[in-house]
Amino acid sequence: MQLPQFEYIRPKSLAEGLAALAEHGDKIAIMSGGSDLLLNMKFRLEGPAYLLSLNGLSELQQLEKLDDGSLRVGAACTLTHLAEHTIIKECYPALRAAIFVVGSRHVRNMGTIGGNICLETRCWYTNQSKIWRDTREGCFKTDAEQCHVIKSAPKCHALNSTDSGPILMALDASVVLASHTGERIVPMREFYQNDGVEHTVLKPGEVLTAVVLPPAKGRSVFRKLSQREGLDFATGTFAAAVIGSNEQPESVSLVLGSVAPEPRVMPQAEKILLEGGLTDEAIDAAADVARRALLEVTNLFTPTFYKKRLIKVLVKDALLELRDQRVRG
Amino acid sequence: MAKQLIALTVNGDPYEVAVSPHQTLLEVMRDSLNLTGTKRGCTAGSCGVCTVNGEQGEVILSCLALAVEWDGRSVTTVEGVEEGNELHPIQKSFLEHGAVQCGFCTPGLIMSAKALLDVNTSPSETDINEAMAGVICRCTGHIKVKKAIKEAASVLREREVNHGES
Repeated sequence: MQLPQFEYIRPKSLAEGLAALAEHGDKIAIMSGGSDLLLNMKFRLEGPAYLLSLNGLSELQQLEKLDDGSLRVGAACTLTHLAEHTIIKECYPALRAAIFVVGSRHVRNMGTIGGNICLETRCWYTNQSKIWRDTREGCFKTDAEQCHVIKSAPKCHALNSTDSGPILMALDASVVLASHTGERIVPMREFYQNDGVEHTVLKPGEVLTAVVLPPAKGRSVFRKLSQREGLDFATGTFAAAVIGSNEQPESVSLVLGSVAPEPRVMPQAEKILLEGGLTDEAIDAAADVARRALLEVTNLFTPTFYKKRLIKVLVKDALLELRDQRVRG
Repeated sequence: MAKQLIALTVNGDPYEVAVSPHQTLLEVMRDSLNLTGTKRGCTAGSCGVCTVNGEQGEVILSCLALAVEWDGRSVTTVEGVEEGNELHPIQKSFLEHGAVQCGFCTPGLIMSAKALLDVNTSPSETDINEAMAGVICRCTGHIKVKKAIKEAASVLREREVNHGES
């Protein structure tokens, strides 16, 4: 497959890049690693007239400890760089686990954290070759007003497969979104939307420039299920962060990934653990909530009945592991 | 979509080549530079046969890298692995263990193995699996490949020891 043609823009500074974004509106696509965008362009799911490359902008590749102890990670840091970084390994091991299971080493060497957070949604219908799609009806992502995953749905139900999204949400991270008029900071929990086409709150002209991780506190865990261990999109992911003791947790954050167009926060399950502590019964109940929260649809490859069984086990296993972790201050 | 002149070093040889923005590193190496050792597989980042090594020896999928982004940089392909006129220990080991069936994925396997062994000559089973997960052999499997990598690793370890003594 060859790439469609486009005009290539390589800014010398972020400001120059933001000006190009403002100028070209929705005709421009942003590329950092390229392992997701170029693939979608080859499949003719995207055909931007202009391509803005963030590679070579060293201001987006920095890791910086802020005064309040939080960590600011530049959006164009490669996944390999982060997975091998001492601070990430020591302070955010669950994030490290999530980054380390993205694609293969080949993909992680190219792919960036910003790109993984903004990863395009996928479904079994649209993520096919153009020839395959051309023989069938279109959908919200192409040229029609329908979704093939859920026939009667008024919006796109493609699956969000980001591996880093759920754990960043559980860790209460924020992202910095910049445009030529300024910056805004959005908590990761408010970054995604339940719509496969408009799956993030990013507006045209905006680019994700950094992730801010609050100071490491408490315990966290990340699990990914996939059909193959390497180089595969997740069947389901689960991220949890707990502050406080097993008996009386002060805060519990549970997020399911790869189950919907957005990573799913599970407030009901969080409440069960907050009130009951991390007991066997409470963990069972929380896992059951996760199972029931899934829609009865096959977004990508895994049939729902199978996924529902898996998710329950995934959540339970992860929470039991978290319970056994040493309590940190 | 004007063409742009880029300076690209492949296996130590400098090239100047005019590329369009939409051309990948793989296309430029194969079609413009006639370096066809690197294979064109799925072209979608799934199979890994187009693997080349970047400036730090890291594995890169040349099918998903824009050639314009490699202006002023250098890559190593399977054509640049041999040492003088001798095959690299990894290549020798692949031959000895018959870790080749149709051979199409072999350049990708060799480059991925080299990236691993360049930084770690005592890889564990997990290290090897993790390093090789991005390359898929459709013919047979990875058992002989893994044997070959372990053997090559021991040759390279011995070499390190000898170098240390001299």
